[in-house]
Amino acid sequence: MKLRTRLALTLGAATVVLLVVMGWAQSRWHSRVRVEALAEAAIHRMDSGGRERCEANPEQWPGRRGERGFGAPPPGGHRFRPPRFAAYDQNLRSRNPDSPPFPAELARQLEAGDEVAASRSTDSRRAEIAVRMPWNEGPCAVVLMRTKGPPHLFSGPVLMPALLVALVVILVALFSAGPIVRRVRQLTESVRKLGGDSEEPIHVDGNDEIAELGAAFEQTRQTIAAQLASLRDREAALRNYIANSTHDVMLPLSVLQGHLVSLQQRIEGGEQLDAKAIVPSLEESQYLGSLLHNLNAAARLEAMQGLEHHDPVDLNRLVERVADRHRPIANRKRIALEVGLPEQMVEVRGDLTLLEQALGNLVQNAVRYRDAGGHVAVVLQGTSSSWTLDVIDDGPGIDEADRSRVLERAFRGSEARTRHPHGMGLGLHIVSDVAKRHGLGLELLDTEGGGLTVRLRHAGQHTVGP
Amino acid sequence: MPDRILLVEDDLALGGQVAETLSQAGFDPHWVQDGDDARGLEPDDYRVIILDLMLPGTYGMDLLKRYRRTSEVPVLILSARDDTADKIRGLELGADDYVTKPFFPEELLARIHACLRRPNLMNTERIVVGAIRIDLERREAGASERALSLTPIEFEILATLARRKGAAVTRDALVEAALDPAQENSRRTLDVHVSRLRTKLGKDAAQLETVWGIGYRLSEGT
Repeated sequence: MKLRTRLALTLGAATVVLLVVMGWAQSRWHSRVRVEALAEAAIHRMDSGGRERCEANPEQWPGRRGERGFGAPPPGGHRFRPPRFAAYDQNLRSRNPDSPPFPAELARQLEAGDEVAASRSTDSRRAEIAVRMPWNEGPCAVVLMRTKGPPHLFSGPVLMPALLVALVVILVALFSAGPIVRRVRQLTESVRKLGGDSEEPIHVDGNDEIAELGAAFEQTRQTIAAQLASLRDREAALRNYIANSTHDVMLPLSVLQGHLVSLQQRIEGGEQLDAKAIVPSLEESQYLGSLLHNLNAAARLEAMQGLEHHDPVDLNRLVERVADRHRPIANRKRIALEVGLPEQMVEVRGDLTLLEQALGNLVQNAVRYRDAGGHVAVVLQGTSSSWTLDVIDDGPGIDEADRSRVLERAFRGSEARTRHPHGMGLGLHIVSDVAKRHGLGLELLDTEGGGLTVRLRHAGQHTVGP
Repeated sequence: MPDRILLVEDDLALGGQVAETLSQAGFDPHWVQDGDDARGLEPDDYRVIILDLMLPGTYGMDLLKRYRRTSEVPVLILSARDDTADKIRGLELGADDYVTKPFFPEELLARIHACLRRPNLMNTERIVVGAIRIDLERREAGASERALSLTPIEFEILATLARRKGAAVTRDALVEAALDPAQENSRRTLDVHVSRLRTKLGKDAAQLETVWGIGYRLSEGT
């Protein structure tokens, strides 16, 4: 059923119910007033000489004249028929043989103490009213009146207007629901369009509940649109990231293949090769592994705010592990990679993998861009509450002017991803970001006697990440 | 008798290489490819267990938990994943250390040796480093069967290095242990004291190495 029809029928039904209730209440009130008026009239009649006449001749009262008794047939032709009277003593017995026996129901009411008792026949055509007179003695102590009943609840003049009113209400409702229904349809149309990926905003005029519903739909539409846009951005970024990463991996892989091919050609050419000849290939393969870890770390860093882990990390062991990892290449390149640790364990709270990757990047950069005879030292000093971790080399260093610039570049910048002459590519950016998230200071300093010192510094209390 | 090492690694190529590395380094490797096979083994039959976390059948963590219930044998985890939660969980479950793939054989061996070194129970009263002997209680030192006559500062430098034999000790740590750190040019002063100490060590002076960028180290010598 359509909204408009449903609304009209509901209103119509409500009107009918209302009229029925009002009709019933009015009829109750009407019969009460009628009974009271008749009782008043009876008392008045008896007071003004009726009592004397009745008590003088109770066997014939009310007689044929004036006060019509039950025995007298009503004169025909009159629309209005006055009530017929009968008199009874206090035991509800009449001396007049024409009087009917006193109705049992009225007797009960009078016995219960009522001054006036009334009843009507089941078809409501007759009503009987008994009135106890103010004198409670003699043959005329109770007067019974028999008269026509009150009109029917739904007799002609009541039912018809009610149905008419209901009909009018239905018509008015049908007519006035038009604008509401139109606005609901407008809303439905707008919401339907959403499925078609429409950018059109949802708008419904007015400031009622339908407009509110429209506004709620619009708010939801905007949220969904924003999420969709963010998802699309992320998908594009991911695609871009994979493309860049593939490029990043292909580059060292090509270099590695080049090294291997060159080795093979030199062996084929009868050249006597020493073990050193294979070091660039080993270094490149290690670089590849480290690059993949860096890409992974970069992806994790981009995807999260702050840090996911705040576990206690044993820095002494972390430094040992990183040195062990890079020593095979350093040894082969005849670069001294040394470690200096404090006697007491230094503990930091943070992400083990990221911290290890960051330190690994610093050590790898230092080893990668040094030649035979070079030195790299990793020195951890201090206590858990305040410490410095230095990666010191005696390489060419970085100009003062370039230092802040190499730390500032973003991950995604193509410049950041290329292999910088000083090895300050993606690796150093990961170091910088990891340091920031752990609340660590990162400084690029001169090594005494030449070279670069990268210092991670933890000074006093700090809170790690959000 | 060589130390037995249990290697639980499902990859044929990597497992073969690691087993070979271990043999060459003088260990006796027992290579098990299947995690379920490894469940039945007695961990205390080995000096070190090398466990790949990504095993088919049994997840490496379950194996680690199982071993740790009955044994304190050092366990070294091999992990290809950059997942911090995995590593932390492994360490919490009782693994001693981990090595992230890809790794060079030397790196693995260094981690195994580090596992075997722990815990470092050193006699704290008398320390012998190569030809050099130090009695901390009596505050006496000797080298190659002769007594050394050291100043208190020189003894403190030597003792500090000896307590951490084989490890590089920073100049700052030595200054703090043997000199007054507030004094100006204390690092230079330290170098002077070390130079005198070397002279007194004579032919054993080579054991007291200068470590670039860090400080000094007392090594076992050749």
